[in-house]
Amino acid sequence: MKSLTIALNDLRRSFRSTFALLFMFGIPLLVTGMFFVMFGNIKNTDAPVIATTKVALANLDAGNAQTGQLGQTLVDALQSEGLSKLMEVTLVKDSASAREMVVNQQAGVAIIIPANFSDSFSDTQAKVEVEFIQDPTLILGPQVVRSVLNQMLDAYAGIKITVAESLKMAENGNLSYDEISRIVTEYMAATEFSSDSTPLIDLRSPAALPKKNPMVSLVGPIMAGMMIFYAFFTGANTANSILREDEEGTLQRMFTTPTAHTEIMRGKFYSVGLTVIVQVTVLMIAARIIFGIQWGMLASAALTALAIACVAGTFGIMLVSFLKSTKQSGIIFGGALTVTGMLGMVNIFTGNPQSAPLGIVPLFTPQGWATRAILASMDGAAVGTILPSLLIMVAMSIVFFVIGVWRLQSRFA
Amino acid sequence: MESAIFVQNLHKTFRNGSSLKAVDGVSFEVAPGEIFSLLGPNGAGKTTTISMLSALLKPDNGATGANDIRIMGRSLITEPLAAKAMIGVVPQDIALYQDLSALENLIFWAKMYGLKGTLLKTRVAEVLDLIGLTDRANDRISKYSGGMKRRVNIGVALLHQPKVIYMDEPTVGIDPQSRRSILDGVIALKNQGMTVLYTTHYMEEAQELSDRIAIMDHGKIIANDSHENLIRLVGQKTRISLSINTEPETMIEPWKACKGVSTIAIEESKINLLVDDSNKVLPRLFETAAAKDVRITSVEIQEPNLETVFLHLTGRALRDA
Repeated sequence: MKSLTIALNDLRRSFRSTFALLFMFGIPLLVTGMFFVMFGNIKNTDAPVIATTKVALANLDAGNAQTGQLGQTLVDALQSEGLSKLMEVTLVKDSASAREMVVNQQAGVAIIIPANFSDSFSDTQAKVEVEFIQDPTLILGPQVVRSVLNQMLDAYAGIKITVAESLKMAENGNLSYDEISRIVTEYMAATEFSSDSTPLIDLRSPAALPKKNPMVSLVGPIMAGMMIFYAFFTGANTANSILREDEEGTLQRMFTTPTAHTEIMRGKFYSVGLTVIVQVTVLMIAARIIFGIQWGMLASAALTALAIACVAGTFGIMLVSFLKSTKQSGIIFGGALTVTGMLGMVNIFTGNPQSAPLGIVPLFTPQGWATRAILASMDGAAVGTILPSLLIMVAMSIVFFVIGVWRLQSRFA
Repeated sequence: MESAIFVQNLHKTFRNGSSLKAVDGVSFEVAPGEIFSLLGPNGAGKTTTISMLSALLKPDNGATGANDIRIMGRSLITEPLAAKAMIGVVPQDIALYQDLSALENLIFWAKMYGLKGTLLKTRVAEVLDLIGLTDRANDRISKYSGGMKRRVNIGVALLHQPKVIYMDEPTVGIDPQSRRSILDGVIALKNQGMTVLYTTHYMEEAQELSDRIAIMDHGKIIANDSHENLIRLVGQKTRISLSINTEPETMIEPWKACKGVSTIAIEESKINLLVDDSNKVLPRLFETAAAKDVRITSVEIQEPNLETVFLHLTGRALRDA
């Protein structure tokens, strides 16, 4: 099978070229990596996206004989392990110190628990205010801390209401004090209001879909776009080896061997397909490992990768068939592939695939269909859902291949 | 005995706006084990001829349409793969993968010639040994000198032990040592029974190597014989090359009229003459020059050779044709 020998030889030469390797793998990963770093350097974990906020906490709560040290319970909750990545709590002795730390920008937030915090629980009519002071130059961090604090205080309020309602029922003889105690305990457990509780903020995706890291959701389409963009360049560049070998004399030398011209050309076409398949596969695996990008279900991702390789390779073969020499390749590849690539991936960068006419433009380019298929696969679409896109890519590949082969065969074979 | 190479009535015209007839009715036969040289100036049609003999170019039908190329009895036109299996082609320019090593190149080309398994390994090792590059087999071609690249270029054509080898100006642009090595290699191939079709524009090479020489000019073979027989075409004529102290054209007509002068041509400000007997003609040339008040500044006498033959047949020197 001499065509395979030719294809493997081309593959080996491609992967020996630093320039080709840079284009095939280096740049797509590097560009994605830049976005990854710019937006937070977070892998597929549950770690928070925002930076830790410094909190100055003054607990002035005097406690209460009946309810105990509820202020200290709140302090323990704010200092819990689960919140340690969101906030770094520093205890201060009074409210003035707490305010001073915010003024001096030693803390982003000051929280002051009032002296009557615990007392308010024994008096169901009493009101209590926890002071929250923030550095006005900070936005996201203090908001998160405020949200956590509100959640805790809501839980307190809930307990207080539960206690009050339970006491009313007891007075009416509907509940015994043992039952009241059990209800309050269960409510407190349900609010997970203790220092060793699970995180207070738990974002959950819809049950059917795996949990997504927002960073991966942002970087994933960029990686997909880079992969498709450079796969088309690789297809064209590998197909360009036909012209390069023609100019270097090795193609003519092949023609002098006892090998049919059609088999030689077939080998060159195989090499284009193989090289792009290897590129797409390596990029998908590398992106999964480095950035934690999920490409979707195996069958969908594999078929999409194959379709991308087909359409990128054949588009390259067709482009090369219109060139007279490799001297023209820089302009033609740069122009045709950049324009079609940008048009095809416009939705990735505008972030609105549905808007017309912008949403329709990519569908006039092979890159557009490739992008559509890979994004759908990344969203967890089954093969049946992406099949129309795949079939259109295959149809495009057939058209590109027929045009390219017809022109190249008539020229070289 | 069947010819190793049989070529009949080859024509090739290139049409790029204007029409250029590169090969015009070329026919010849080469016997097995023979070194046959196509000698001619640049543009004579040698490379076009060898390209058609390598199946790189399709011959035109010509006026009669009765063209044919047969290698060891197999027609290159009707049985191209079988015919090409008999040929090893050494192209004029280096046709190797510069980014691969010599070993990788040889393995790739061996596969293209259909070699497999043990035979492939054996032949690659033998060829590396033959071209003297076993020690540097794993170096990339791009790191080789021009001469070393030439040797690998030749080695590729020998991998499948062809019956016939074409060498298209294999010594162009290389150092004398490598050139000597290649010429010795060609003789060694002949001694192994291989048929060699060799193109060159260096008459010394054709003279040294060839059993027979076909002289090409303007797409046609104008003479085809052994070196000795070609020399006989010019008889005992001697080539005299003269420089004078004025424009060379001044003495063309006077010297042409001298008895014993058969051909006269100007080459690089020198006047080349073919004469019957230099001892008798030279004094007449001096006398004629003196009569015209022209001074001869240098004289070079050369016994008959292929250069003389080409001058005799075309009226032009081989080098400036």
